[in-house]
Formats: sequence, structure tokens, C-alpha cells
Amino acid sequence: MIQAFLLSFKLAAITALVLLAFGVPLAYWLTFNDFRGRRLLEAVLLLPLTLPPTVLGFYLLVLFSADGPLGNLGLRWAFSFAGILLGSIIFSLPFALTAYKEAFRAIDPEVLDVVRTLGVSRWKRWRKVILPWIWPGLISGTLLAFAHTLGEFGVVLLVGGSIPGKTRVASIYIFDLVQALDFESAHQAAAIFVVLSLALIYAVRSLEEAWKSRIGSSIR
Amino acid sequence: MEIAYRIEHPLKLDVELQVRGMTALLGGSGAGKTTLLRALAGLVPASGRPFAGLSPEKRLVGYLPQGYALVPHLTAAANVALALHGEDESAVSLLEKVELAHLANKLPGELSGGQKQRIALARALARKPRLLLLDEPTSALDAVTRDSALDLLETISNKLKLPMLIVTHDPYVASRCNHVGVLENGRITQAGDPEDVFQRPATVSIAKMVGFSNIFEGVVSEVADNGILLAVGSYRLWVESVLRPPAGSRINWGIRPEEVMVVRADRPLPPELKNNVITVTVEQLQKRGAGYCLRLGGPLPLLMLLPRHVQDRLRLTEAAKIEVVLKPRYIHLFSSSV
Repeated sequence: MIQAFLLSFKLAAITALVLLAFGVPLAYWLTFNDFRGRRLLEAVLLLPLTLPPTVLGFYLLVLFSADGPLGNLGLRWAFSFAGILLGSIIFSLPFALTAYKEAFRAIDPEVLDVVRTLGVSRWKRWRKVILPWIWPGLISGTLLAFAHTLGEFGVVLLVGGSIPGKTRVASIYIFDLVQALDFESAHQAAAIFVVLSLALIYAVRSLEEAWKSRIGSSIR
Repeated sequence: MEIAYRIEHPLKLDVELQVRGMTALLGGSGAGKTTLLRALAGLVPASGRPFAGLSPEKRLVGYLPQGYALVPHLTAAANVALALHGEDESAVSLLEKVELAHLANKLPGELSGGQKQRIALARALARKPRLLLLDEPTSALDAVTRDSALDLLETISNKLKLPMLIVTHDPYVASRCNHVGVLENGRITQAGDPEDVFQRPATVSIAKMVGFSNIFEGVVSEVADNGILLAVGSYRLWVESVLRPPAGSRINWGIRPEEVMVVRADRPLPPELKNNVITVTVEQLQKRGAGYCLRLGGPLPLLMLLPRHVQDRLRLTEAAKIEVVLKPRYIHLFSSSV
């Protein structure tokens, strides 16, 4: 059980960090730039919200298989940690992206414009103006991606199967226990999940509240 | 400083304007005043002199938008410090210049509109700009704060010899500037001393901007050496003007509400003014500041502003029939009908 939970944490942590690293610039770009095809691009990025996890998992499996397009390039990631990591990133992207965009929308673009006219470099703008302004929003989006990845099941099952220590994350571990009719162990694992998820969502909500009151009081 | 800018998007502008000391940019809403300021700051693509082709970070321009755009999570001092790039001057000494050093550690949310504006000004000055751009600097301020803000701008303009372009729709602000330009239909339609623009607006729309509310049409019936005779309905108004429109042409004319005068029975008018006397009825009488605003009905629907001491003597009431005189030298002819 511990092994399964540790694997879940590892998967969720790496997914959340990857999303933080490229989701934040992506959200910034989508918030402050208008270009042809922006709406279509956003629709594609948000697709996993409505797509059944099995559909996403199925396509990834086909892509990664030995004679699939990615498999041909040497990315034979089916039934591997790399495979479920990529699946998790795609699957949690809409949540992180929406939260990040919400954070950026709180920034008055005119303030960024005027700060530019003060001769402040891009790097200094991020360090002194943008990040201190919206970091709670970025953290809450990242926590949300972490929590969402922890609770993921369908994509991981299809892409990764259930290989202990490699792809058998906690949610799949519970599924296996139930199938083996080991309800007592399933109960324990499920209870841990409830507590963990509640704590995470509570943290996300608290951050959002703290952030909103901050922005609310400081907005002109 | 001479500005020559051409903008294609979001609207077409082709502007040439001298910025001398405090220069007001007047114009109706949607005329593109803010777009021009943003273009000068490098935030809207444009071509022209000065600064063309430079990114906003490289232009020595101070830009104060309407909301002042202070960074909400930085203190007043930290906001000013954003514009300091290793200069000797400190943020606090810059705040001293706008008399707000005691508020250095306050967040923008804790400050009044006037204080925010001064801090934005200190921040813009920290950049050591060669041109200061201000968008409606007084629109959010009450009358007293407005005056002290204009005093401060005047001091800065005189002390630092810093040219300022001030977008405004307030004729009072424009009247306190050294130079005025009017932006209409994508170009400057009139520029000059505030007095020039206010007393001799080139077009009807400029006249409305600078406070002419009585604007009418007339036909030139006679042209003489020292003026013209203007047919307006059954009246023949005598007008002193440097314009010499041909007899028979239609022309717009106007008179300021404060220059419409009541004829007093105890003071007979000189005969040459008889032509310009109009009988009207007081339709509405309203207190306006320290005086009164009267809406007059009759052949010419006029607005008239009356100082309190005059009304105290005349004691006009609504529905009263009175005679007013439009003095020839206060009637203004517009060279264009636009």
C-alpha cells in the first residue's frame, strides 16, 4: 500500500511541477495575447475536461505501441512511468491552466504596460511585479493539478496497466483490492484518500480566499 | 518638442503638434487621445518622431494613465523604486518632491486618488523622462485637489523644463496650459494659445468643447469694412469679425452663455446696438455655482449665465419677459461648418 501511495505522490508531484513550469508561461501567453486560432487552441487544451479518460488513455496507448507513431520514434512508453506521467500531464492541464489564467486575469494589463515604460526589464517585471501579485493563484492551481493527478484512474489504467512499483498507483491499487474482494485493505486505502483529498482541496480553497481578499483590497 | 505621429491601428491618426510646456490635448471621446499617448509611450504601434521604433522600455517618456497604474502589492516607495535603475536619487527623496514622503510605506489601496496620482508622478519622474504624458489627470479629482494637482504640474513643468502632453476634456485644465491642440477626425484641427482656441474656435465642434453652448445658423446679408450684418430669422445682427464671408453665404455663429447680457431699462443702449437686441422669455432659472444659469425661450433659444450680483439687482423669475443684447464683438463666426 505504501508503495502505491508513494508512486501516486511521485506521479502527482512531477506532473504538478511540469505543469507549473510550462503551464504558467502558456497561461500568461494565452491571457495577454490575441491571435488567430487562440480559441481553437484553448478548446484543444481543455478537451480532457470532457473527454472520457479511457478515450485519452486509448489514444496514448495506440501512439506509444511498438508500431504506433511515437513508438516508431523510440517512445515505447506504454506500461511505463513515463507513459502515465505524460497522460497525467495532459489530463490535468485544463485544471492547472484554468487556475493560472484566472490568476493572470486579475492583473491589470495597463499596470504591466506602464511598468514597461518605466524601463523595467522582462525578468524584473516577473520577479517584482507579476509573481508577487499572483503567486497564491499559481500555487493553488498547482495544488489542484497535484490533487487531480492523485485521484486519476482511467488514463493511468489504460496507459500503464497495474505494474507494482512502476505504474500501480494508489487508485489502481484500490481497484485491484476490490476486485480481489479484500474489502478491509480497500477501506483503509480509501479512507486515506478521502483525508488527503479533503486536506488538499481545503488548502486550495484557503489559498484562493486569501488571494481574492488580497487582490480585492488592493485593486484600484 | 515637435510631435509627428502616424497610427494605423486601432484607429487612423495623423498628428502633428508642438508640445510647449504644459500642452493640452482636447478632443471628443473616441477621438484617439489616449491612443496617441499610448503610441508616444511605445505601447501602440506607430511611426513618426520622436522615439519611433524604440520599445517602451527604451523611451524616456513618463506615462500616467487615468487609473495611475500603481502596482497594488508594492508600497509607494517600492513603486517609485521600480523606475530607478541604479541612480543616486532614492525613492523617498522623489516622494519628497511630491510632498508625500510620509506615505512611503503605504500600499496604493490605502491612498486617495490625489495621493496615488502624486506617487505615479514621482515614479514617472524617477525615469528622468524627456516628455510627460498624462491621461485625464483631473477627471477623478474634486475641485480643490484638481487645482493643487495642476499647481504641482505647473511647478514641475517650470522647474524641470519638462514638456507635458495632457489629455483632457476639461476646458478649465486646457485654460491653465501654455498650449492647446484639438484632435478631431484623426488629426489636429486647431492648435495655439488657450485664449486663441477658446475665443476663436475654428469649428463648431471645437466651440462646443470649449464651452460655447449657443450655436446657430445665419445668412450673411451685408459685408462692411468693420463687420458684417447677419440675418437670423427676422433679426439682422451686427457682428464684428475678421472673417469676410461673401454676402448670401450660410454661416455658423455662436455666443458664450456668460456673454449674453440683459438690457436694463435704466441704461439705454447706444443706437448701434439696437439691431442686436432680442426679446426672450425666461423658461428656466437654475443656481449654477456662484451664479445662475437661465434658459431663454423665444426666436433664439439661448443659454445665459448670470453672476449673482446681477441677479440680486434684476430679480428675474421664470416666465419673465426680458430683452437681451448680443454684443457684436462677442458674437463669434465659425470658419467651418463642421
